[in-house]
Amino acid sequence: MKNKLALFKFVIRYLGFLKAVPLLPYLFDSQLMLWTLFVRPQILDAFDNIESEVLRWQGTGKRLHKYGGMQFDFNGKEIGHIHSNGLLDIRFSRKIKKQLLAEGKVNRHHIFEKSGWISFYIENISDAQYAKQLLRKAYEGLYAN
Amino acid sequence: MNSRTIQILKGFIISNFFAVGLIGISKYLLSKGGQPTFVFSEFVIIPILMGMICAWFWKDLNLPGRKRALYACLDIFFALTFSYIFLGEGVICLVIVSPLIFGFLMLGVFVGFKLFKRHDENLNVSVIAILIFVFVNDSLSKHNYQNMVSDTITIHAPPAKVWKNVVAFEKIKQENKYWLFRIGMPSPMQTTVTGYYKGAGRKCIFSNGYTFGEKIITYDETHDLTFDIVDQPRDPEIMNHIDILRGQFLLKDNGNGTTTLTGNSWYKLYVFPTWYYDIWAQSITRNVHLRVMEHIKQISEK
Repeated sequence: MKNKLALFKFVIRYLGFLKAVPLLPYLFDSQLMLWTLFVRPQILDAFDNIESEVLRWQGTGKRLHKYGGMQFDFNGKEIGHIHSNGLLDIRFSRKIKKQLLAEGKVNRHHIFEKSGWISFYIENISDAQYAKQLLRKAYEGLYAN
Repeated sequence: MNSRTIQILKGFIISNFFAVGLIGISKYLLSKGGQPTFVFSEFVIIPILMGMICAWFWKDLNLPGRKRALYACLDIFFALTFSYIFLGEGVICLVIVSPLIFGFLMLGVFVGFKLFKRHDENLNVSVIAILIFVFVNDSLSKHNYQNMVSDTITIHAPPAKVWKNVVAFEKIKQENKYWLFRIGMPSPMQTTVTGYYKGAGRKCIFSNGYTFGEKIITYDETHDLTFDIVDQPRDPEIMNHIDILRGQFLLKDNGNGTTTLTGNSWYKLYVFPTWYYDIWAQSITRNVHLRVMEHIKQISEK
């Protein structure tokens, strides 16, 4: 995962200050989509699969994430968001994050490493299943509250 | 042809005709003689509106994400082909511009899908009216952007030896390393002068034969060579959208047999937004500098 996300991480870390420029994050995310379209088009099918599943859950909706990508909400609160390179970011409690990290499938968030946020890299269509499980877990947490 | 294909084609055709119309209006509003300016709106608002037009025709087709992105690419491909044919843009220019318009077209498609799902005509008309207002306002605004790029290298030769190679030099035989030069952008090849004094003419010849006419305005031997660009070729590949205003070479004796050579260039851009195009302008100018300065270094260190 490290190598595949090296450029993305470089941009986020060193050019992240540019996210304040109006529309620039969307432009960056669309470049990721363009890359995905030509290099790993099946990931876009995985996004559709995830989207149709999440939007079936009661009270959910989607919108553009403020820093680019597709964001899923439950009653206006963010469940998680997917960047167009396949990086799924979800916020959990620190306790759940610890459990998920122990399972070994997710990573610390690419910026907020010490928070409850986790990142999961969707590399192929089969990863959509686990992505949906993660989103469901976050959704149920929000639903319960 | 089934109705689905017709709707997809309508998206391509109407969005491109709309773009051609708006660019025509923009050119009319901006045509005050002189260098044509391409404003921010032409690369941001028009692609967003194109995306929204596509979304309008595609909204009931239930397109999967992969197809949506692919069709957006196709729509851009048609737009770029029109630009190549009708606006006389060069291929390299189109390569540079395509990520920008793809990004905003995709944004337009996304916003369009969201907007048109609400079935709120007042909202739709308001959003489109605001975008067109921004477009007209931007087209009527003044656009002026100048910048300077500076690069420095150390040459293992004294200033007196470096100086004569700075003023004029023979053909550069080194292979191009910069990717834009490799795919066909003209690169600097040779410089000639009519004399070694202030006011002398200088010519910078590029790989495609284009020549920049220059006039030396500061001739401070072994220290400062500054020249104004008095004649610039109009080439569809980049040079139609940037004016190189002035060039300068500064030499500093390091006192140990080496010289620090600084190359400065001042330029004016005719394409906006500058937060995007200035990245390219700086990169191209820097690579023109480095090609020339590395050649000066090579022949001076012989």
